[in-house]
Amino acid sequence: MSLLIIIIATVLVNNFVLSYFLGICPFLGVSGKASSAIGMGFAVTFVMTLTAAITWLIKYKVLLPFHLPFLEYVSFILVIASLVQFVEMFLKKSVPGLYRALGIYLPLITTNCAILGMALLGSLRHYNFIENLVFGFGAGIGFTLALVIMAGIREELEFADVPKPLQGAGITLILAGLLALAFMGFSGMISGG
Amino acid sequence: MKLEFKMIAVLTAIALASGGILAYTYVSAIDSIEKNNEEAKKKAVTKVLPGVQEYKEVKIDNHTSYFIGRKDDEVIGYAVLTEGSGFQGMIKLMVGFDRDVTKITGLEILENVETPGLGNRITEDWFKEQFKDRMPELCVVKGRKPENEHEIMAITGATISSKAVTKIVNQAFEKLKKALGGEE
Amino acid sequence: MKKGSASYEFVKGLWKENPVLVMLLGMCPTLAVSNSAINGVAMGLAVIFVLVMSSLIVSAIRKLIPSEVRIPSFIVVIATFVTMTDLFFKAKYPDISKALGPFIPLIIVNCIILARQEAFASKNSVGLSLVDALGMGLGFTWVLFLLGSIREILGFGTWFGHRVLGSWFHPLIVMILPPGAFITLGVLVGLKNMIKKES
Repeated sequence: MSLLIIIIATVLVNNFVLSYFLGICPFLGVSGKASSAIGMGFAVTFVMTLTAAITWLIKYKVLLPFHLPFLEYVSFILVIASLVQFVEMFLKKSVPGLYRALGIYLPLITTNCAILGMALLGSLRHYNFIENLVFGFGAGIGFTLALVIMAGIREELEFADVPKPLQGAGITLILAGLLALAFMGFSGMISGG
Repeated sequence: MKLEFKMIAVLTAIALASGGILAYTYVSAIDSIEKNNEEAKKKAVTKVLPGVQEYKEVKIDNHTSYFIGRKDDEVIGYAVLTEGSGFQGMIKLMVGFDRDVTKITGLEILENVETPGLGNRITEDWFKEQFKDRMPELCVVKGRKPENEHEIMAITGATISSKAVTKIVNQAFEKLKKALGGEE
Repeated sequence: MKKGSASYEFVKGLWKENPVLVMLLGMCPTLAVSNSAINGVAMGLAVIFVLVMSSLIVSAIRKLIPSEVRIPSFIVVIATFVTMTDLFFKAKYPDISKALGPFIPLIIVNCIILARQEAFASKNSVGLSLVDALGMGLGFTWVLFLLGSIREILGFGTWFGHRVLGSWFHPLIVMILPPGAFITLGVLVGLKNMIKKES
């Protein structure tokens, strides 16, 4: 499978948020402002790409050779949690500018199911190392795209007259539904994987 | 007790306990899991190779293997178990070929996560029956009835899933031919 | 009912502090596996098991864990029980295991579970934590069951696989697809707010 197809498939056709429902919590929580949506999106893309590389190495170089498949979930989530911590410390020391931009979003990422979801889906699909890396990157971009679009709509929504019970989460979910419907239009782009 | 020491000790203890419990659970569950897998395979082989009495599994690669089906000690056909990507995720299927690998004898979908109501209609009988007595290289047509023995009619609203299955079947055929050719 | 009493801690998860409708936690599995009633119930039961077991362990060892490493400790405990659940489904109910796919392992990052450990089990006794976990788990399950039922009935015309609507009914396939999940849940959240305001 060519790498381009993986990118298109994960960004548009099977968007992580809108068709796999991964990363919904930050999607609903953070997407109030376009600027913070972009920050969150880049932090997630960064961690996802790294996670894709490391979880692949763990699975194929440690767990499978030593016949420990049952430790997959535990080791993946530990990798993600420590990676987030490590990235946070590294950025703080070496790239303070980037740290100030991404810093507040990093701790939220550990419990972002999109990251673990990406690691597990990649593992289910038996990607090779490069494919897995591209998949992780594409998933992050797809997440960012959905988050930014949603934030843009919600900024406009502040001026709209929404029925009271639907204000907040209710209308956001319904909007996400309409967005998902629009994204389904992309499904014709890929034929047969 | 120093804090660092306590932190390391607690995390190590929890990790060890977790590893131990999981190893135990895994060992006690793995037999049933493998039995389930074997039963699923057996059911699929019996379906795609009608009349089969016994079979032997030969691995081709990590995710593909073929089964030599026999009846009264005579080879009656081959079944290929393989997987490929569908619309949402992996599709695992088994396809049976007759003794001379000249036509398909049956198709079974073992695992799929296609969209319920659309893509996962690939598990419906009318769709699978289409493959019977056909011969790869197969292709998918939509909006009209198949006109020759290489054409498979797509499921309405699920062209991608239909194409994916057809593609996996074609690949299975290629892999089987290569594996059998290598033996001679 | 008083805050801190066992009955209060149990009931709050069902309605007042319902994890899905009010706190909007655990959205991924809620939306993803709720395309049929049976999947909703299976997922709910899996979450109850993991939540109850994790809460028991965490509240039992809460005084031993230094607060700096509590999150990694909670996650390892949760991941352990999730792997057990996954192996259990694979061994005993392979069909359900296939239908739920990668969403069983995703229980690990289900915010409901970590949130209950952080907000409740790490501060309260074993007994209260058990009651809290049961209440939250049931609150999660009934919403999943309701959502799964609505989507299955409108999307397939069936309920638990049995036909409930006659042949006059033309299934609304969009209900089973991702947009249907978002929209149905949005409407449910709105309804919950409406009922809350009136009472």
